[in-house]
Order: sequence, then C-alpha cells, then structure tokens
Amino acid sequence: MTIAFHPDISTLMAWSAGTLDEPFAVVVSTHMAMCEACRETARRTDLIGGALLKAETAEPMSDGALERLLEAADDERIDLPEPRGSDSVDPSVPQPLARYLPDGLDAVKWKFSGPGVATCELPTGTNANGRLMLLRVGAGKRVPEHGHGGQELTLILRGAYGDRFGRFAAGDLADHDEDVEHQPIAEPGEDCICLVAVDARLNFRSRVIRTLQPLFGF
Amino acid sequence: MSDERQKPGPSGQTEADPAALLDRVARDRDKAALAELFAIFAPRIKSMMMKLGADAALAEDLAQETLLSVWRKAHLYVAGRGAVATWIFTIARNLRIDQLRRQSNKPYVDLESIEIESDARGAPSLLEESEIVDRVSRAIETLSPEQREVVRLSFVHELPHAEIAVRVGIPLGTVKSRLRLAYDRLRPMLEDLH
Ligand SMILES: [Zn+2]
Ligand SMILES: [Zn+2]
Repeated sequence: MTIAFHPDISTLMAWSAGTLDEPFAVVVSTHMAMCEACRETARRTDLIGGALLKAETAEPMSDGALERLLEAADDERIDLPEPRGSDSVDPSVPQPLARYLPDGLDAVKWKFSGPGVATCELPTGTNANGRLMLLRVGAGKRVPEHGHGGQELTLILRGAYGDRFGRFAAGDLADHDEDVEHQPIAEPGEDCICLVAVDARLNFRSRVIRTLQPLFGF
Repeated sequence: MSDERQKPGPSGQTEADPAALLDRVARDRDKAALAELFAIFAPRIKSMMMKLGADAALAEDLAQETLLSVWRKAHLYVAGRGAVATWIFTIARNLRIDQLRRQSNKPYVDLESIEIESDARGAPSLLEESEIVDRVSRAIETLSPEQREVVRLSFVHELPHAEIAVRVGIPLGTVKSRLRLAYDRLRPMLEDLH
C-alpha cells in the first residue's frame, strides 16, 4: 500500500507525548498500523520523551516500594503472552481500531446522514473531548462542502475520495485544521469508508453546528 | 556492581547501563537488575507523572506498574532498537493513557506488537544508552528557547496543544509551527538512533 498523506508532524509529536484526545489517538494509531514511515517517525519522536524522562529530577518513592515491586515480580510465575487486544473479524480493520469495531466494517449499523452519506458514532471513554465516527460516502457521491470547527483527522479505510488536496485512498490520512474547507467526492465503483475524529468541544459548538451538522447531526 | 559498562552518574555514583540491566532481567530473570532499573527509573517516572497532574499516590502507582511491565516485557525489548529510557517512557505513557481511558474499558495496547513484528529490521544502533540519551538531550538544547518550551510542555507536562497555546499565550497554529520547526531541527540528529 502506497500512502501519500500522513499526519502533520505536530500531530505525531502529540501522539508520541501521549497528549492526543482518545478519538484522535485512535485514528493516528490506526494509520500507524498501516504506515511504516510514520512508525519510523514515531520512534524518533519517542526518543525525545526518553531523553526527557532520563533528565527528570528524582521524586523519591515511598518506603517499601521496591519490596512491593519485587513481591509482585515474584507472583509473575510464567511469562504470559501479552494481551493483544481484541482482534477484529475483519482483516481490513487494523488492530488499534478493532477494539472499537470488533465485528468489522460489514457489521456497522449505519445512520443516514444525507444523500449518499451515512455515519456511525463509535463510543469512546468519558475523558474524550472529541468524537470518533465512521463515515461512508456512496460510490461517486459527494460530501457536502464543509469547514471544520477544530482539528479533523480522516483516515481512509476502504475505497477512495478526491478533493482539492488530492486523491485519498486506503491508509491515507487527511489532517485538517480549522479554517480548511473542502468537498470530498468518492470515486466511482466502491463506497468510501473513512474513520474520522472531530474536535467537538463545547467552545467550538456553534461553529461545529454550522460546519459539520449536515454530516454528523450535532 | 562490577559491570565494566558502568559510568559515573550525575551524582558521582556509578549508574549501570540500563541496556545491560534489562538484558539481565530478560535472560536471567535477575531481580537485582530489576531493583537497579527501579532505582534509576521509578523516581523519574513518578516525577514526570506528578508534573502532568497525578497526585503522589497515583504517580507512584504508575511508576510501580511501569517497572512491573518492564519485568514482564523485558524479553520483548529488541536490543539495538534505541535507548531503554525511550522504551520505558513509552510504557509509562501507555499506562497513563490506559489509566485515563479505564472508564471506557479499552486498554491502550498501542502498537508495540505490530512494531515488533514488522519493524525488527534495520541496522541496530551501535551507540550505548548513555550516548543516545546524551545526543538527544544535546539536540534538544540546540532548540531556540521558544521551541524548547513547547517541546517540554508537550512531553514532560504532557499538555495538549490547545492548553499549551493558552499557557504560553500564543495561537494554536503557532504551537504547531514551533513543534514542526523543532522537529525539523532535531530530525537530522535523531536520524540514525532509531
Ligand atoms: Zn504515515
Ligand atoms: Zn472535512
């Protein structure tokens, strides 16, 4: 798979620092599962975190902490295989997304969101600020022209679409700031299914309603 | 304390090479080596976690959980894949994210299994732990004060970009462009470190 579009480096640095809101982190992790170049970049940005950890001042641990650790290590009798997370039945759903979509893309319950456009919201933790959704654009159909109330990450899972930025196919990720306006059109032949994270914090609400309401029914 | 790879630490005491310690944990299930890794990393993880808002008890739990994961996963660490500090940083980061997401009951397994399967390739780094950490630290020191500030706020205080913008008093776009410039500057220095 040749991937032409990747997350902005500032987005990857936030992923590496662990500060991305859950929906955005899921989209970036899913892209990374498909993209060797970004895994390579993340190894470099992780180095920054490692060096900063090594430079941290020491905050003394409480008495007995080491003994408790060694006891816990004793209880670990066998090397259990690492939990791999739930695997999806659908091979086109990479593992970081499989936890949110265990039954695969073909089992998604779509909600009509306009002519040729359907969505499905994926549940996230209560600490999440943004929203994680699947967007399906029928073959040859267009998404209404829209802007963004905040950051929007769109990862193509199946099919392809084109907009003024180019052609986005499976694995490609569009990393749009607020201020970006575009009108994606799915290519003919196959529905285009995307994983989308949108910033839907309250202070953006009025803009979100204006910009994304037709799509996501805010 | 007879390993020849030991180097004087900042306090003048010798601090063993974490890669050698981790190797002993993986190969020999050596608890003395685990205790030394604990002495090096647990207090630093606790400090980092407290800076990002965890109280002392939670920060200590996360430090303990991190070291226990090191014990469990030592055999998964691919030698030559970079500094042990980096690997431990990613474990601590993932545990914290997991803790934040616990309500959603979706453990953050991250990409470690995928990475290990598909990317255990490339020339191993021949540099030692301390050299890698020194080089990255020196690289960070070459950043402009403004760039260094956003990098530190992002990694050590783990602030989302929008909060950095508020704290530093600059637009969100400026936070991102400073991070981009910082990365462009760091990139050549991180290139062969993996
Ligand atoms: Zn990529
Ligand atoms: Zn859009």
